[in-house]
Amino acid sequence: MIFRNLPVPTSVRERVTPRHLVAFGLGWLALFFVLPILVLVWQSLGIGTGEPLSAYQQALSGLYLWTIVRSFYYGIATTIVTLALAYAFSYFVVFWTSMKNLFLILVVLPLWIAYIIRYLGIQLFFSPTGPFVDLFGTDFGFLFSTRGVILGMTIAYLPFAILPIYNSMNAIDRDHIHASRVLGAGSLRTVYSVVFPLSLSGIVAAGLIVFILSSGSFLAPAVLGSSENFMIANMIERSYTELFNIELAAALSVIYTIILLALIAVFNSYVNLGEVFENI
Amino acid sequence: MLEITNLTKYYGDHLAVEDLSFSIEEGDFATLLGPSGCGKSTTLRTIAGLIEPTEGTITLRGEDVTNLPPDQRNIGMVFQSSALFPHMTVKENLAYGLKMHGLDDEVDTRVSEYLDLVEMSGYEDHKTTELSGGQQRRVSIARALAYEPDILLLDEPLTGLDRVLREQIRNEIKQIQREINVTTLFVTHDQQEALSLSNQIIVLNNGQKEQEGTPESLYEHPKNRFVAEFVGKSSRFTGQPDDTKPSVIQNGSLTFAVDPESIPDTSPNTDGADVTLYVRPEDVVIDTSSTFQNEFDATVSHIADVGSHSEIELELEDGTPVLVEAERFPDLSVGEQTTVGFDPEDVIVL
Amino acid sequence: MKLYKVAEQFAAWLVAVIVLSLLLVPIVMIVLTSLTPESFPTIPDGDVTLYWYSEMLSNTELMQALVTSFLVATCAAILSGIVGTVAAIGFVRSEISYREELATLMLLPLMISPVITGLAIIQFSSQADLPSGYPTLIIGHSILTLPYVFLIVRSRLVTFDDDLREASRVLGANGLETSLNITLPVISPTVISAMVISFVVSFGEFTATQFLIAPDATTVPVIIYTMLRAGLSPEISALSTLLIAIMVLGALISGAVTRST
Ligand SMILES: Nc1ncnc2c1ncn2[C@@H]1O[C@H](COP(=O)(O)OP(=O)(O)OP(=O)(O)O)[C@@H](O)[C@H]1O
Ligand SMILES: [Mg+2]
Repeated sequence: MIFRNLPVPTSVRERVTPRHLVAFGLGWLALFFVLPILVLVWQSLGIGTGEPLSAYQQALSGLYLWTIVRSFYYGIATTIVTLALAYAFSYFVVFWTSMKNLFLILVVLPLWIAYIIRYLGIQLFFSPTGPFVDLFGTDFGFLFSTRGVILGMTIAYLPFAILPIYNSMNAIDRDHIHASRVLGAGSLRTVYSVVFPLSLSGIVAAGLIVFILSSGSFLAPAVLGSSENFMIANMIERSYTELFNIELAAALSVIYTIILLALIAVFNSYVNLGEVFENI
Repeated sequence: MLEITNLTKYYGDHLAVEDLSFSIEEGDFATLLGPSGCGKSTTLRTIAGLIEPTEGTITLRGEDVTNLPPDQRNIGMVFQSSALFPHMTVKENLAYGLKMHGLDDEVDTRVSEYLDLVEMSGYEDHKTTELSGGQQRRVSIARALAYEPDILLLDEPLTGLDRVLREQIRNEIKQIQREINVTTLFVTHDQQEALSLSNQIIVLNNGQKEQEGTPESLYEHPKNRFVAEFVGKSSRFTGQPDDTKPSVIQNGSLTFAVDPESIPDTSPNTDGADVTLYVRPEDVVIDTSSTFQNEFDATVSHIADVGSHSEIELELEDGTPVLVEAERFPDLSVGEQTTVGFDPEDVIVL
Repeated sequence: MKLYKVAEQFAAWLVAVIVLSLLLVPIVMIVLTSLTPESFPTIPDGDVTLYWYSEMLSNTELMQALVTSFLVATCAAILSGIVGTVAAIGFVRSEISYREELATLMLLPLMISPVITGLAIIQFSSQADLPSGYPTLIIGHSILTLPYVFLIVRSRLVTFDDDLREASRVLGANGLETSLNITLPVISPTVISAMVISFVVSFGEFTATQFLIAPDATTVPVIIYTMLRAGLSPEISALSTLLIAIMVLGALISGAVTRST
């Protein structure tokens, strides 16, 4: 079937340009995303209540400040563990196996499964009736602890780290590696002086993604941690649904987002975030 | 039929085409010839209405179409990449243009007629992605012609084909054009293609027209060095006119006799300036017996058999290369001493 | 030297096995524990039963949530499919200043924590008097899935041959006809695949969704979370297995659609 004789008035033809399509997309985003966020920022200021900015005072003190610090601490820890595993795994897939596609499919598959289900699976694995306790008689403190939260986030975000690292490593010209080996460098030395520098952009991209996702995680502490492991996302949710303190929830959101966007801005000059996400 | 007047196109502040004017008569096969980046595609695409000119007008069939969108110009166009729609069959590709032109009733007859013309009958239901490069070009040509446009535009349609196929499809294009007598504007950077196809050539360089004319006139009477060097092969000498003898050009130890009328005005400001001489390879004879007014000792430096004839490169005493077209497998060997000769009338002086 | 090689190989395989186990064991756990005959989620040793599946199917609350999830995910996928495709076409074709920066803006919903997105949207929708429940859920999910469609369709369009559009114009089609007859059919497998991804993302989204639900419009992940808080049970595993099946099906469809081109 062919569409034709569609009347396109000259006025429309001249007026609808790609710019309008951009405007439509950005407009939609502005209306249902940017505007709501701005409203949230406005609410965080608490103007009209007795004490403006008091929510920020509260958010930057005591328990809440610690939660913010903990979020970034967990984020960094998760990023380090994830990068190490992803790097070793990518190295294996790129240089040691001929079944690249199979391994990649197995890595991508979990991305299709909702986080809540994957976290549930981890909890089941370590639960008192699960196979781990069955085998060892104890969960080694993996459940409802820092360890559990970081392990959970590592599992959840591993594919996001593997894909960019794998892509950048796979793009390395094999001749560089052969050259290094021929020049007499051992394989570890080759990794250090050839593979690592050439895959650095993938590592930075992977690190950035994992850090963004993990520091903002809600489900990992909620499913695999206790209230002592609460991160910023959990505090925001609790301030809103349990304390009914929208100013506080908004202030926490603003503080966290500003810190994160600043970090992204710093790294965005090094890696283009659009390309980073395109890897996935 | 087609008239371009003072066409100028800026991309931002990059000047791609500058004040270009030319016209094409009904049934002509015209070629825009020029090196890469000289503005050929830009010109063609403004004619098609795909880009807006910065200045100038385009007149088609006596009607000013400068501000018409491409779909209202009744033009046929063949793209460098074929641009066949990958989600349609061969027949659907042809039918698309026909239907858009309201020729629904004639789809079947026209499709078979034009596929026949490009020798692609029987491929109606093939997916275009399954065709070879040459077949894709043929279908693309059929698609552009099927609705009988007023003018056919071809933008380097032979790019990416191997030499044999290039030549084959080139000949087919020529034949089809003769057969249906469609006014054609062809774009290429290949002078050989231009010379063999067209009856009118417009030479472009840096967005400007260098010369316009028939292949013979461009080849035999190039107006400037660019055209002389870009169109056809030649040997090149430089030298200064001898004021005392108007028919002689002196270059160190070498003296060239030329047709006195061909020497450019020796007006004061060009006086003493170098002139460049060109001699076409087929006008040079390798011969030790007959006498030419221009005769020089030369050493054979390279012999290449190009199929129909041989191209022989020789060096004069001062190292200037001379190109000669000779019959195949000449009785010569590299390093051999011989002489070359040519007539003064065959020397182009610029 | 030889021993060193063997050790290296062993280490490489060990890492591969560890990483793949980390990724896949949790998913396998869900499926296995859903088959247990016990009343708590454990790996069945020999006896398997589909009891928990029938339990799940007779739970009207769960079935209602499935319907809700399905509706919301479908509508969100269509919305973000349209908006994301239109925006991607615009961004690829236009030459506006700050194009890359503005395109990064389209990815913001991926970067900002979904808790914040959910909170912002529910606040906004209550202040703007948007009806809670379906409209809020659908709009929220369309925002959360928009970056996926935008990114995927944009990277397809970058390789789209502009000559095709121009050929269509010269053949006599106007801009709109060209978009409908040429651009859309050529990029449609990509758009469909992106919409399937959106559907799956929406179907499994919990963090932002917990703010957006209404009593009469609750999605499956929220139900799972609520049940989870009350304690693990094989019924949760059964429900989760159903979700896994739907999501893997989505992956297969998306793969098949993209491969067909
Ligand atoms: N869309 C554009 N934006 C900016 N500059 C352009 C654009 N298209 C072409 N140009 C520039 O304009 C000049 C002429 O381009 P055009 O494509 O017309 O050349 P051409 O003669 O067809 O060359 P080729 O043989 O390489 O196809 C070139 O310098 C080119 O870089
Ligand atoms: Mg060109």
